[in-house]
Amino acid sequence: MAPAVVCESLTKRFGEVTAVDDLSFAIEPGTITGFLGPNGAGKTTTLRVLLGLAAPTRGTALIFGRPYAQLDDPARRVGAVLEATDFHPGRSGRDHLRTLGRAVGFPDARVDEVLALVELTDAATRRVKGYSLGMRQRLGLAAALLGDPELLVLDEPANGLDPEGVRWLRDFLRGFSADGRSVLVSSHVLAEVAQTVDQVIIISHGRLVVESSLDQLTARVGGAVRVRSPDLAGLAAALRQHNVATTLTNDRALLVHGATSEQVGDIAFAAGIPVHELVGESSSLEDVFLSLTTEASP
Amino acid sequence: MAQLQAELLKIRSTRTTVGLLLGMVGLVLLTVLLTGLVSTASTLMDKQNQLDLLGDGTLAGIFAALAGILLVTSEYRFGTIRPTFLFTPRRGRVISAKIVAGLVAGLVFGFLGEGLGFGIGYVILDGRGIPIALHGGDIPVLLVGALVGVALWGAIGVGLGAILQNQIGAVITLLAWGFIAENLLFVFEPSVGRFGPVHAGNAMVGGTTRHLLAPAAGTAILIAWTAALCAAGMVLNARRDVS
Repeated sequence: MAPAVVCESLTKRFGEVTAVDDLSFAIEPGTITGFLGPNGAGKTTTLRVLLGLAAPTRGTALIFGRPYAQLDDPARRVGAVLEATDFHPGRSGRDHLRTLGRAVGFPDARVDEVLALVELTDAATRRVKGYSLGMRQRLGLAAALLGDPELLVLDEPANGLDPEGVRWLRDFLRGFSADGRSVLVSSHVLAEVAQTVDQVIIISHGRLVVESSLDQLTARVGGAVRVRSPDLAGLAAALRQHNVATTLTNDRALLVHGATSEQVGDIAFAAGIPVHELVGESSSLEDVFLSLTTEASP
Repeated sequence: MAQLQAELLKIRSTRTTVGLLLGMVGLVLLTVLLTGLVSTASTLMDKQNQLDLLGDGTLAGIFAALAGILLVTSEYRFGTIRPTFLFTPRRGRVISAKIVAGLVAGLVFGFLGEGLGFGIGYVILDGRGIPIALHGGDIPVLLVGALVGVALWGAIGVGLGAILQNQIGAVITLLAWGFIAENLLFVFEPSVGRFGPVHAGNAMVGGTTRHLLAPAAGTAILIAWTAALCAAGMVLNARRDVS
């Protein structure tokens, strides 16, 4: 089967700033893909180019083999939510959906169906001004679902949701993909989507860092050594000389990857650097994500 | 056609349009009542002054233009332009539907405004026993000119909004040009100023002020303005990235 989404050498510049830099990836149909990276990594820009809202500087971004704007009936094939706040505050949720549906010939009955699907029927005729953030997120999702699309593209859909809302979204996405449809969901927190996605695309500074299945990424989770020292910089430099990578933790310790605690202790001793704590730790998926996105820093 | 229905629904589904309609009715009523009741009888016997009174409904053009501006700029202001373009990636189709919707809204504003202005103005003249100085084709020219002119202002608003995209910027540009810049231009350089959209509109209703164009020429010029602004708005919206 042809990929649902393909980006090839996609580059997007805004003046001097390169937001997306030679990015290539593909998404197989029937999967939930997490599109991950820290804030400012270029996720939203990539999605905007993919959906035809912005033009690429170089390269291509195709959905079902074509640029979005050239799809025959995009609203019936792709549903997307880019911002949780894209509503006229003085228009009711139902009228918002009706204005969109009317443009592509969806009947009002379909509007009421998706309102029920996202559990907004009771608030449908109220003006959006009075909606909570969670309700707005669901109204945006309702708009994306109007055309019963094959592909759903969601930019940071869990932002601002309470735990119950996140859980609702997770269950919803699982159900959506269960019958062979695809989801591309961006997030800056891997943990938010780790329980939902089949594969991950991780970008940092506009470049691809990892494109793999979640299983492969999980396999990278291995031991790390946590070490504290009054001379963290010197220790990191000494470890680097032995081709051992480190990351600085929030509580001013070093997390050492790819070395045993014995090796770390020996290297510190040889370099004459005092060590105050030396603990072997098993890292989490989030550690892997963090180290991947920080390693890519220029 | 479907896109036009969507745009018309956008106009109807917020209270903003009702507010603009009420504002328009209020301003037309105030102006026509003040001019009709306060002016002396001899002043109102003058043909141009009668035209001004009976044509007060053309003030609806300001409100039609504001409605047109909002039809585009509120989409950028509130971000609904994103779902709008996602549902209809052919942006030219969206903007042209908005232009037609602006014309339709303008027709409604013009019909209501000029209907009120002409009706009340006529009753006042009649009641004060002032003979009507408009003859033959004058009244049809006034009524048709007002209606078409106000409708065109609705589309001009869409064009201006599509060019600037920023709501406050577009409203200020409209008011600054319509109330200040073009009037100054007409006073100091009437041979140029008469080609401005406001004075073309004044010519359309049969205005007799010195230097104004003939009604047909005024109509052509206002249509040209509308077409130029709308075309520029279409081109710019097709090219610009939506952030």
